[in-house]
Amino acid sequence: MSISPTEKVVDVRGASVGVLEGGAGPTALVLHAAGGAGAWLPYHALLAQSFRVVAPDVPGFGRSPSAEGVEAIDDLAFLYLDLIEQLGLAEPIILGSSFGGWLAAEIAVLAPKLVSKLVLVSAIGLRIPGEPITDLFALSPAQKVQALFHDPAAAAGLFPAEIDIDTALGFYRDEMAFARYAWSPFCCNPKLQRRLHRICAPTLVLWAGEDRVVPTTHGRRYAELIPHARFEVVTDCGHAVMLERPKEAVRAIQRFVAS
Amino acid sequence: MRFNLFHLMPYPYLPPDYEARFDSGSLTLPNGLFDPQRGANLYNRYLDELEYAEKLGFDSVAVNEHHQSAYGLMPSPNIVAAALARRTARIDLCILGNAIALRDHPLRVAEEVAMLDNITYGRIISGFVRGIGFESYAQSISPVRSMPRFREAHDLIIKAWTSREPFQWISDNYEFRYVNVWPRPVQQPHPPVWVPGTGSVETMKWVAEHRYNYLSVYAPTRVIKTWFDGFRSAAASCGYTPTPEQIGFSVPIYVAETDARAHEEGREHVEWLYHKGMRIRQEYYFPAGYLSTASLRGMLKSGAKPFSELTYEEILKLGYAVVGSPTTVREKLKEMEAFLGFGNLCAVLQIGDMPHHRTIKNMELFATEVMPAFERAGDAFTHRPRLAG
Repeated sequence: MSISPTEKVVDVRGASVGVLEGGAGPTALVLHAAGGAGAWLPYHALLAQSFRVVAPDVPGFGRSPSAEGVEAIDDLAFLYLDLIEQLGLAEPIILGSSFGGWLAAEIAVLAPKLVSKLVLVSAIGLRIPGEPITDLFALSPAQKVQALFHDPAAAAGLFPAEIDIDTALGFYRDEMAFARYAWSPFCCNPKLQRRLHRICAPTLVLWAGEDRVVPTTHGRRYAELIPHARFEVVTDCGHAVMLERPKEAVRAIQRFVAS
Repeated sequence: MRFNLFHLMPYPYLPPDYEARFDSGSLTLPNGLFDPQRGANLYNRYLDELEYAEKLGFDSVAVNEHHQSAYGLMPSPNIVAAALARRTARIDLCILGNAIALRDHPLRVAEEVAMLDNITYGRIISGFVRGIGFESYAQSISPVRSMPRFREAHDLIIKAWTSREPFQWISDNYEFRYVNVWPRPVQQPHPPVWVPGTGSVETMKWVAEHRYNYLSVYAPTRVIKTWFDGFRSAAASCGYTPTPEQIGFSVPIYVAETDARAHEEGREHVEWLYHKGMRIRQEYYFPAGYLSTASLRGMLKSGAKPFSELTYEEILKLGYAVVGSPTTVREKLKEMEAFLGFGNLCAVLQIGDMPHHRTIKNMELFATEVMPAFERAGDAFTHRPRLAG
């Protein structure tokens, strides 16, 4: 069963945030990765079978224009706290992959009691010396596909080899937004590790078995420092877990939420 | 015409399989390829060439800032300018420029340039640049922040040069509670400022508003024409017509006795510059946010080829370089002058891996056979007070 989402734009203290919403069940705030904003993807549709999915676009990504004064991860975390309040989302499950996972962790650190359950999927956000995150900014489109997917064929529909100027500019715009939040410090908040103890929601740290972007050490560290966390792996899968293995990932999330 | 000898100080000793092994001459090309013995000789040779420009009657020499690159060996252009300061007496030293957006401490630039201006009795031209995209990686400065940092650092430096009292500077990217730069520059209110542009309308407007000199970078002549026209129209919106000196055209030039000899000798060096020196991955050159989406759209639509894919014939035809006999070069430059309307020529005469003897011959032929065909701007042109040296 396919569920088509509704679209709206929410004004959060001057920032226009595009939000896609669909499905029914417990509310899941779903935070996008550096790629894939603004679209209702197969994993959203799968999640929507058991959750009310609320998927906002970070300012600068997808449908959201960049917003004055929103230029770092802490600005985003505070903005999303306001957004949650404004949308009246009561104790949502917060689920984020990669960049979205970082944002989810930051929100949970700031307002631990607001989150009923937390899911971090191959999340960036930690700085671990000797375990660097791959510099996606420096990779060509073809190299990005190699880095993000265990089986590059899985990327076929998502990253076409030949793209028109408008599509290229759309990718560039998202990457520019990503650079705003993640160029330096690179893909992390160096202080996040010593704040993770604050998270009280049961947490699933779900990682790609073959993650060539964020080393598994990062996932294990998240799971170690978040008090009620469990660590699971999606096998035969690259960093873009929600894109490459949506069924397996969503099943793992459903199991976790039900437990 | 103002004649400015622009030196890039490339590192020519790349391995024969360089192109097969490396996808970039900048950022990630291992510094193990730099041979310090050869490097030391190279710096001294290049400084000799710059000093010789004064004897040949150039108005200025220009040096620039690049990091982690075989394309240019001047991470600090101020050090090169300092090395030239007391080995020259009359020629202007153009720092083209300090990459101020990359600095966490732009006041260091204000201090160093002011020192140089004192040491040279006011012979410094102060260029300001953002830095090439790959330097956003090399210096860990977000490309998204590069433009606002450039503007803020510029405003801070100019204020530091012109203020007579300590002041506080607090902006989005910088916080300095005690700004009180010693020394003050000799040239008042401050050294002339030159800024290169790559077609961004905002930059044209900004340079025109400040009445600075606007310079082109490597691009086809027909593209540069649109930049210069844009700059002239931006100046017109500010209510003035730019002086000829305010528009600077930068181009590699090779002159030899005949056309045939010029191509025979010059070709490999021009090819080295564009195919090896400028070999760079697009992701390094234009990291996300370095260009606005409007500028990127313009670039994608123009369908311009990467430098390393241009053939020698295309390089010449499009105007990326000028090569020929004195007559050919004179005519070509006159034609470009008429078409583009510039009064400031930044001539790159040491091109790529060009050896010393050929560079000297090129400089001499250019100075004796090409420069005299143009009406010189002269000292009055610079409108700057000159202290006795």
